[in-house]
Amino acid sequence: MSFLLSCPNCGPRDVNEFAYAGEVTTRPAGTPRLRDLTEYVYFRRNVRGVQREWWYHRFGCELWFLAERDTATNEVVRVELPGA
Amino acid sequence: MSELAFISLGAAPAASPLARALAGAAGLRDLSLLGKLEVRGPAAGRTVDAEVIAITPGRALVVCEPDDIAALRESLSGVVIDVTSALAGIELESPELMRRLTDLDLTALPVAGRFAGVPALVSPCDAGFRVFFPQEFGHSVVAIVRDVQDGLR
Amino acid sequence: MRLPPQPGERIDRSRGLTFSFHGRPVPAFAGDTIGSALFASGRRVFSRSFKYHRPRGLLCCSGGCANCMMTVDGTPNVRVCVEPARDGAVVEAQNVIGSLEHDLMSVVDHLGRPFTPVGFYYRTMIRPRRLWPYYERFLRNVAGLGRIDKHGRRTVRTDTEHRRVECLVIGGGISGMRAAADAAARGERVLLVDEGPPRAAPEGFELLAPARAIGIYEGGLVPVDAGSVLYRVRAGRIVVATGALEQPLVFPGNDLVGVMLPDGARRLIRDFAVKPGERAVVVVADDRALETVGYLRSAGVEVAALVDLRERPLEEIRAVGRQGRVRSVQLDDSSFDCDLLVAAGAPQPAYSLLAQAGGAIAYDPAKGSFVPTALPLGTEATGRAGGELGSVAVPRASYDRGGGEKAFVCLCEDVAEKDLKRAHAEGFDSLELAKRYTTVTMGPCQGRLCHLASVRLCAREEGTDEKAIGTTTARPPWAPVKLGLLAGRDQETAKLTAIHHRHEEAGAQMMWTGAWRRPYSYGDAPAEAANVHEAVGVIDVSTLGKLLVLGADATVFLERLYPNRFGDLKVGRVRYGVLSNDAGRIIDDGTIARLGEDRFYVTTTSTGSEGVFEWFEWWNAVWKLDVEIVNLTGALAAVNVAGPQARELLGRLTAIDVSREAFAYLDAQQADVAAVPCLILRIGFVGELGYELHFPSLHGEYLWDTLLERGADLGVKPFGLEAQRILRLEKQHIIVGQDTDSESDLLAANMPWLVKFEKDDFVGKWALEHRRDQGNREQLVGFEMANGAVPPEGAQVVRGGRPAGRVTSSRWSARLNKAVGLAWLPPELAQEDAEFEIRVGGQLERARVRLRPFFDPEGERLRA
Repeated sequence: MSFLLSCPNCGPRDVNEFAYAGEVTTRPAGTPRLRDLTEYVYFRRNVRGVQREWWYHRFGCELWFLAERDTATNEVVRVELPGA
Repeated sequence: MSELAFISLGAAPAASPLARALAGAAGLRDLSLLGKLEVRGPAAGRTVDAEVIAITPGRALVVCEPDDIAALRESLSGVVIDVTSALAGIELESPELMRRLTDLDLTALPVAGRFAGVPALVSPCDAGFRVFFPQEFGHSVVAIVRDVQDGLR
Repeated sequence: MRLPPQPGERIDRSRGLTFSFHGRPVPAFAGDTIGSALFASGRRVFSRSFKYHRPRGLLCCSGGCANCMMTVDGTPNVRVCVEPARDGAVVEAQNVIGSLEHDLMSVVDHLGRPFTPVGFYYRTMIRPRRLWPYYERFLRNVAGLGRIDKHGRRTVRTDTEHRRVECLVIGGGISGMRAAADAAARGERVLLVDEGPPRAAPEGFELLAPARAIGIYEGGLVPVDAGSVLYRVRAGRIVVATGALEQPLVFPGNDLVGVMLPDGARRLIRDFAVKPGERAVVVVADDRALETVGYLRSAGVEVAALVDLRERPLEEIRAVGRQGRVRSVQLDDSSFDCDLLVAAGAPQPAYSLLAQAGGAIAYDPAKGSFVPTALPLGTEATGRAGGELGSVAVPRASYDRGGGEKAFVCLCEDVAEKDLKRAHAEGFDSLELAKRYTTVTMGPCQGRLCHLASVRLCAREEGTDEKAIGTTTARPPWAPVKLGLLAGRDQETAKLTAIHHRHEEAGAQMMWTGAWRRPYSYGDAPAEAANVHEAVGVIDVSTLGKLLVLGADATVFLERLYPNRFGDLKVGRVRYGVLSNDAGRIIDDGTIARLGEDRFYVTTTSTGSEGVFEWFEWWNAVWKLDVEIVNLTGALAAVNVAGPQARELLGRLTAIDVSREAFAYLDAQQADVAAVPCLILRIGFVGELGYELHFPSLHGEYLWDTLLERGADLGVKPFGLEAQRILRLEKQHIIVGQDTDSESDLLAANMPWLVKFEKDDFVGKWALEHRRDQGNREQLVGFEMANGAVPPEGAQVVRGGRPAGRVTSSRWSARLNKAVGLAWLPPELAQEDAEFEIRVGGQLERARVRLRPFFDPEGERLRA
């Protein structure tokens, strides 16, 4: 894995400067039933295509950010800070 | 800031954490005992006359002479934490040496990025490059730098 | 014997040198390769083939095939046709018993042939199965390439260097040089890499040679092998100018010594002034190969026959040899005596790098080869690599019309046309299957000389065309690369505390805790533990994660993250906290001290510091609370002073009142200790009166030395991790990751009081509610052994003859004179005094549940 990932703060870097933290999920509001809780905790869409996911610039500015990456080609379509 | 007094250095320490690892090394200046202040806040570090390495818009590292730590701490606004002990540092001259230690763009400094396998802050200086990194990695980083120097001889 | 000086020859006749071949000196000139010098001295057989040990000679002279591989100065598999000759080099043949001329293992070829068709090892050496290890050893000794010294150590240093360029050109031929010059003229920073001999860079761009691009990876990353330096090049734009590879024809006898590709003959003559033979037959398919005729004639080689396949497509070619060397060649109905056959079909553009970059490669019937048809942004092909081949003749899949000799497809792996036919007949009827079954294209040339031919043969066998067959997947490395170049340094990056050297000086046995080096013991762990009980011990706990959490929302932040409360923690007090995730599982534990209204000091486990920091930062990225999190793990060192004399020792070094009333258990106070600013936490992981000092790490050695010096008369001694483990186990204090795993939750781990269900929301609340409602499936409890056998950690708990749980921690406690531990048991067994059994070395040993700490269950010594 050697693609370039653009940190919204630092710009393009070797992807190995970052830690990957998986698909963006929505934390249930209020108390979920066991089934919904299990889905939130364990299930992922795991799409072949553009996925919205979390990344952390572990070796750099230590910011968490979001990326939209095509899981089949590793092309990163977009990066942004959360809440942007 | 009195609740955080225990983090500040107080008296000058006996020796740099890199002293043993750098014994006999040439071309590497030890910057570990320089004062370093981590500043958080919207105007992080922007109001001072000192070397400021901006990490994010809300976070910066201010580097100064050890004697100036206390005064700078007072004059800086925002959350100011003395991290002098946290980071060791070296100064090196050659771009070729740097290219064997990091893949960072050396024309776009200062940056926070990976150096000799550890997270680091790299900034340019008159003599070449300054690199600050977590002191617990000091021994490993210096061993790698010295080994790469051997390869370039 | 050299030809007269050739224009542009690479040799410098004024500088002679000598290397040895099997002990005999071989003369050479500066600029020679080992191969050219050997050829000039009369050598014709350069190797014995991989499987059949057939004699092989120079074929390509460009480092592509495997025919000239020898061992040079102990390094195996060196292609001597491109390896520069060095004075004093020691050169030896490989994979032979005897000599290259009389290899005893050629019996495999002469006698073994009926027994060694393709894939024979899948059929002939199967039974009896127990003999397979012997068959395997035999096969490994008989077939193979060079040998490596199993006890060798690295003798050549390698380095990695990072480069950034706007334009990387791969290949320094005419097209590559032009592309580089054009890019430089446009102001781009250009690097050109070429696998040929060193040469000066022209104005405007950088040139590295010999330097070989290993592959094209994501993000425009191209690793370049330059011998002892690996250049990791990030290029904005990559221009592939790798040229086209001459392709051998498939006909009986095509592996005989004396069969050469046209460029091979050209190089011997033009670069090294060596005559490739006396009398030649030439078969060509394009203009470039046709030029070879002129070179041959000017070198005094008699051209007995010349066929241009574009004008006269042949039906049959057959080379006949004696003792492995070409003696005559038959072209259709005519036969010609010769000692040299120069032959090639349409060249194949070297597209592998382009394919790796994601380019589309398709067969072009007019060119008789695979060419790039679509390339991704940032990758370009130029010259012959892109398919500019001029007029070519597309050769037949094979020119065998029933000649006796084998018609080879893959010389590296000794795969013949018959083998590919057989593979298809056996059902391996696609290119990828046939490749895996026969190993065609899998040898050192990696398909350079055989991929196209095998596609053509597959098309014939399957009754279709090359376009339908397609290519096999191109993967890096594009050329063989030494593992030493790719390997990192043999150094494990270690984290050392500021006090590390004092432990080494004291003779401590060090161990790894994650990436940290920590003292296991200073020689006698039980004695160190006893000293903590009886006097006072000091342990370096600088590895603990240390986080400052401050801001107006600091309390809210911690309340949301932890299952227990921190809003009601008073300033100057410490509380134990355990982090859970939304699955309700335990992630990490530590202490939280309140330094002020809006500031907390959080510790984590030694291996969890980065993870917890990232966890905190992530939740704050989601919640966006008014809070700053500062990682002080390396900024501060920490030392735990524990034992009945701890108060006396601390009192000697600090001005504050350390009496029991003024400094109670779980208090946190700041004070100078030996003039070092400290945060002192009165906590007790090891079960005795204790104070944990947190202070700037630059003062680490000083404070450690001072504690040992000023407490000498009190009997202060350092203690290590092993002693710490014994002590904490006596108190049944858990270690996250040791006694808990990724499935453990706080209820099952016997800490239900830490879960405040009445809180509105905290990470893990819902999962823990469900767990509470469902009940625990297992429970963590303490136990003691009936008769002193210490079960190994991980030992199985047995009940009614069935496995029922496992031991997570266990030690012999000298203080208690018994073996104690922690184990996961089924809830019904988790009752005080319940008896169960543990499997210890094949025996079942009896154990008894103890729900309260073994040592000082009331905690009186802790709260002294």
